[in-house]
Amino acid sequence: MIIDGHVRIGQGREVELTADTLLDTMDRLGIDRALVAPDEAAIAYHNRRGNDAVTAAAASSGGRLLAYAVANPWRGRDALDELDRAADRGAVALAVDPVLQGFDLLDGLLVPLLEFAAARHWPVYVRTGTPPTALPMPLALLAGQHPEVRFVMGRSGATDFWIDAGPALRQAPNLVGDTCYAPWDTVLAALAADPEIGANRLMFSTDAPYTVSATELERVTDWPLTQAERLAVLGGTVAALLGLQI
Amino acid sequence: MIDFHTHTPAWRSASWLAGAAFDADEFISFMDDSGVDRAVVLSHDGLFDPSSQANDELAAFVARHPQRMIGFGSVSPRRPDAVVETERMMSVLGLRGIKLHPWLQGFSLHEAALDPICETVQAAGGIVVSHDGTPPYSTPAQIAALARRHPELPVVLGHGGLHDCWREALAAVAQTPNLYLCICGTPPYAARYILEHAPQHRVLFGTDAGLSDKPSQDYAAARVREIAGWGITADQRQAMLVDNPQRLLGGR
Repeated sequence: MIIDGHVRIGQGREVELTADTLLDTMDRLGIDRALVAPDEAAIAYHNRRGNDAVTAAAASSGGRLLAYAVANPWRGRDALDELDRAADRGAVALAVDPVLQGFDLLDGLLVPLLEFAAARHWPVYVRTGTPPTALPMPLALLAGQHPEVRFVMGRSGATDFWIDAGPALRQAPNLVGDTCYAPWDTVLAALAADPEIGANRLMFSTDAPYTVSATELERVTDWPLTQAERLAVLGGTVAALLGLQI
Repeated sequence: MIDFHTHTPAWRSASWLAGAAFDADEFISFMDDSGVDRAVVLSHDGLFDPSSQANDELAAFVARHPQRMIGFGSVSPRRPDAVVETERMMSVLGLRGIKLHPWLQGFSLHEAALDPICETVQAAGGIVVSHDGTPPYSTPAQIAALARRHPELPVVLGHGGLHDCWREALAAVAQTPNLYLCICGTPPYAARYILEHAPQHRVLFGTDAGLSDKPSQDYAAARVREIAGWGITADQRQAMLVDNPQRLLGGR
């Protein structure tokens, strides 16, 4: 089973993706299921609109789409109420973006949301990238502070902080890496070959609509892996995070 | 098609992204397989240790196929011999420009030491390519400031701002007539937006080939194939891959 671990649906600043278009692409590429987060404005501000959109898309997808919930941690108690509402509507994981939401991974704002995620056994996707607030190493520290939470290092520090991805994954066993943008022949192969990391701590995602989805899938299918490793990257890792049987 | 951002193998100094060993003929095979007619080739060792030896080895590599490969050397800008080495690589070695990598090489674009180097490159009719997209010392606006200090010198943003600085790259190119933007590792949605909004004659493309674990440079070949999925027009593609780099390289 192929599971796309992260896409965003809705209208972004320069991109747009509808659930129907996503499902068509999944059909074309042979992707069975996908975790969907809402668009950028919904992540940053219009949390309720976004949660309503992704949980509705998931509910009408016949089980093919699974919803990330979002809530800006600056909202405090209201953020937890919003996550509760999203959970009631079927969300299965939390997605945060410290750049879009304007917080520091280590400033404490996220702690109540992480406690919520831990209580629900939700994995937490964190978008990583460039300094100062989206780096892999602070995420590893955060993961160390919350060993009960399972984190996804979204984008694995693409691009110049791919060099931090391995150290972050070695430091935090409750952290998994994300394949999108990362060439297998420069970045992913080293992570998979690392005895402290391995393929079962890497999660395939297309990061649609920011990418060419076919290219993102090809970078995993072209990668010379054992069958067991490929199954892990393409679906096993994220299924384990979600407690899915595949 | 011209690939404006590739690398030689790392022969001696890379301890990250060292990649596979390959010779010039194998690199030409990658270029042929991907439809690349000419490539700007940057030193790989020079990123980590910008020495005269790295420039010599780069020059020897591109000299195997001088009609296909165009070498850009590197110097450490604070070294007393930086200007002399720049002159040497542009004249004796026949290189066509210089590659700066401020965060790997440890300097700021605002340092005055860069000015005589840029003047030397400009006097030789060369081009400056800088790594960009990486705070704190490799941001597009910092590189644009260098370009504004040398308004007759073509300066290329080597990565179009990458993932988090591409909007800054686009704004910088719009305000800086001698600044060019090479889409290289820039995410596809950003590439599409840049091609819609940037001055069309100043957008280039690069694969960053040379860093792969395989001589066939699989990720670079994938980056060429991926362009078909970007959703750009035939005119934009022609300008980015053929007309713009050809015009910029001109007689260089």
